[in-house]
Amino acid sequence: MASQTQSVYVTLVSSDGFEFIIPRSAACISGTIRRMLDPASKFSEALTGRCVLETLNGVVLEKVCEYFLYNEKHKDQANVPDMEIPAELCLELLMAADYLDT
Amino acid sequence: MASMRARNKIRAPRRSHASTPTEDFDAIWKILASSLSGIHTKNASSLSFEELYRNAYRIVTMSRGLELYERVKALEKDWLHNHVRSQVTDSILPILLRAENGPDRGMPVQEQSNERRAAAERFLSVLKETWQDHLVCMGMITDVLMYMDRTVSGDRSNPSIFVVSMALFRDNVLRVPVRPDLSITVEHVLHSTILFLVQLERDGHMIDRPLIRHCVSMLEGLYETVMEEETSRLYITTFEPLFLNASQDFYRAEGAQLLEEGDATTFCRQALKRIGEEQERCNVTLSASTEPKINQVIDKELILPNIGEVVRMDGTGVRHMLDQKQLDSLRDLYTLNARVDEKKSVLTQELSNRIIELGHEINTMSLAPPPPPPPPPAASGPTQNGDQATPENGKRSKDPKKEKNAEKEKTVNTQTASAIKWVDEILALKRQIDNVWLHSFKSDQTLHKSIDDSFGEFINRNTRSSEFLSLFFDENLKKGIKGKTEDEVDTLLDNGILLLRYIKDKDLFETYYKKHLARRLLMKKSASMDAERQMISKMKMEVGNQFTQRIESMFRDMAISQDLTTSYKRHMSQTNAADDDRPDLEVHVLTSTMWPMDVMGKNKNKAEAPPCVYPQQIKTLKESFERFYLDKHSGRQLSWQAAMGSADIRAKFVRSNGKVQRYELNVSTYMMVILLLFNEIADGETLTFTQIQEQTQIPENDLIRNLQSLAVAPKTRVLKKVPMSKDVKPTDRFSFNHEFQSPFVKVRIGVVAGNANKVESRGQREETEKKLNEERRHIIEAAVVRIMKQRKRLTHLNLMNEVLAQLTSRFVPDVKMVKQRIDSLIDREYLERLGDEASTYVYLA
Repeated sequence: MASQTQSVYVTLVSSDGFEFIIPRSAACISGTIRRMLDPASKFSEALTGRCVLETLNGVVLEKVCEYFLYNEKHKDQANVPDMEIPAELCLELLMAADYLDT
Repeated sequence: MASMRARNKIRAPRRSHASTPTEDFDAIWKILASSLSGIHTKNASSLSFEELYRNAYRIVTMSRGLELYERVKALEKDWLHNHVRSQVTDSILPILLRAENGPDRGMPVQEQSNERRAAAERFLSVLKETWQDHLVCMGMITDVLMYMDRTVSGDRSNPSIFVVSMALFRDNVLRVPVRPDLSITVEHVLHSTILFLVQLERDGHMIDRPLIRHCVSMLEGLYETVMEEETSRLYITTFEPLFLNASQDFYRAEGAQLLEEGDATTFCRQALKRIGEEQERCNVTLSASTEPKINQVIDKELILPNIGEVVRMDGTGVRHMLDQKQLDSLRDLYTLNARVDEKKSVLTQELSNRIIELGHEINTMSLAPPPPPPPPPAASGPTQNGDQATPENGKRSKDPKKEKNAEKEKTVNTQTASAIKWVDEILALKRQIDNVWLHSFKSDQTLHKSIDDSFGEFINRNTRSSEFLSLFFDENLKKGIKGKTEDEVDTLLDNGILLLRYIKDKDLFETYYKKHLARRLLMKKSASMDAERQMISKMKMEVGNQFTQRIESMFRDMAISQDLTTSYKRHMSQTNAADDDRPDLEVHVLTSTMWPMDVMGKNKNKAEAPPCVYPQQIKTLKESFERFYLDKHSGRQLSWQAAMGSADIRAKFVRSNGKVQRYELNVSTYMMVILLLFNEIADGETLTFTQIQEQTQIPENDLIRNLQSLAVAPKTRVLKKVPMSKDVKPTDRFSFNHEFQSPFVKVRIGVVAGNANKVESRGQREETEKKLNEERRHIIEAAVVRIMKQRKRLTHLNLMNEVLAQLTSRFVPDVKMVKQRIDSLIDREYLERLGDEASTYVYLA
């Protein structure tokens, strides 16, 4: 992926190698990812627009991305339908949320 | 927990490090530490945020976050102490230290200053670089350690790592001695350097403002404590007081120096320039929060101690500015004064002093005896002189007492002119001051009041202001407004009214105005009735209904009289249409109480002047009108005021060559009576003064005046007098002058119009004052009774206050007079002193 710091899309990579390309604005819902991509700090993620998230596997990251987009879609709205969370992922998602500061 | 219910389905979260097997804390810290150093050395691009974050996360999840926190702290301290500090201290050249140590801290000598300046800028820019690097690095480190921050300092027990690093910067970079052997810290050098540069700028040099701004914002970004309270910014706790102190010294010195130069304009300009500079400095170079404080310093050091002296400065102060109309300087001064004093008392004081002074000059000029008139030309005589010199004033240029002293008449004339000049000059002054007020004083209310007060003061100091003002109106309503547009007239009257507002004794003005108005109305000298009415409505608005009541009733009389005249004419033409010879009659029936006394033909003793003897023809006419009038309004009494009337007569002059020349003469009623006498006698015969007086019963004064205009004034010499002298003496003889010549068919023979429309002589003024005082006595008594009737019981003080309050719109009563009136009312048993309390009055019904 072309690594323009200000490109609209960013790539999130799970520990098992799944890549998710989502809008930067959606990804930046996570405080961790936002800081990671902050162009002022010149970390490699910020330069390449590609974040390898070693702590998350593909299944969890998929759900996380789904949430990012869900959040992006419904922000500033009231009466939003609940997102479907498979019960077996609950704990892992909670940990991911903690990690990602979402 | 929700997971309890579906335990079997929940996948147990992988214990954190799935990819990397358990590593011990020290290994992870090693990676982290080297990465953090990498950040400091700007190698961040080779680092992965995620990796660092994950490592920090892992340490924290090992419950060793606090340990990490401490280690990072130590690492930062070490970095700052060993790398950054030396960078900064190295940039401090000895010259900066010398200046810091030197006895002359603020102002090094000029050649040194350039060198020092270069050093200063170098030091500041290094410091700035360092600070910015630190900020960026700490930003990144904080981001990486976010997870740690959240757990370790989330509960506020520990300051966040960022705050800690700021404090570290403060303690390890700023607050360390520059050289190990010196007590001076970097912070000290920083302060003195900034102050030095500010001083340079104040002296007019260009300095690198953004650089200072950066350093200042560094000070703003650092706090005394880790609590980071607003008030504990280093800028506020350390630099700002130093800056204010330095400024204080600077402005105190500058104030003294400017004062020494002794130019108010320069002072104001310089002070305002400084204010602007400081404002800009605060906004651009230092911190905006300093602005109010430095303004205070300027106010306190530069303006407040000096403004008084500046305002009064000889030759350049307010006086000078007013005289030279230096609006800009005045505005500057106003702005300065307004900064330090809400009431602008110094400026106000000086302004009002100057106004009163100027007003006083105008007063003295108008009251001073005019320059001695040139010796009267031998042959032509002052009367003619007066007529010729001011032809447009001819109608009113003669003095009733001309028989006494020809020169005195001149004086009075000049005084009339000077009365009008007085008004004009005051108006000009007022305009000038108003202009200043509008342009320089931002229409300030306090100043406006003081200006008004000053005007009031000097106008009322002139005892004749009422009279002068009325004369001004008289003059303008008679001819001043001819050929002017409505707007111009309006402004003119408004100007006059403006002065009326200042006059305290409005009743005196009313007396004069009535007198002058009566003349205008009866002699038809008013240029425009519209203007007269406008004038009255303006006065009504200004002073109130009561004031204009009588004046309005004078107008009413005039209107009624006009109707009366027409209806009388109709009546006459119906009853005896055949009588063509009957002269036309135009009457003005006046209500005697409303019109001024002297118009009503009453002299000082209030006795009515004996009626003069009218010729038969006129007498019939008079009687016929009396019949007509009394028919309509029975029970009234008509008394004829011949002195106020005028007549048109057609006269035939038979020249010596037999030709007949006809003229229409417009003369006063008395003149008509006199001239008609000559119809009774044969051509060439003469009448003596005494004869005329006996036959007509005209009062001597009036007779002399009328004969003077008939026989002495060169242009209207209808009668010949023997001997040909200037004065009329009882022994003079008069005959009809057939040789009378005039370029016009209609001749207006100047009525020597008595005393009404010019400045009064001393005697007359005393007369007026006497009348006025009498009237005031009545008004005061009426007011006292009115008040007591309502209150029943009142202390002396309260009564006095109420009386004064009621009357001030008309005049300022003399306290003594009020006391006298109260006593007199007690004597007449309207009031009673209350028993033993002598100071309380009771109303007796």
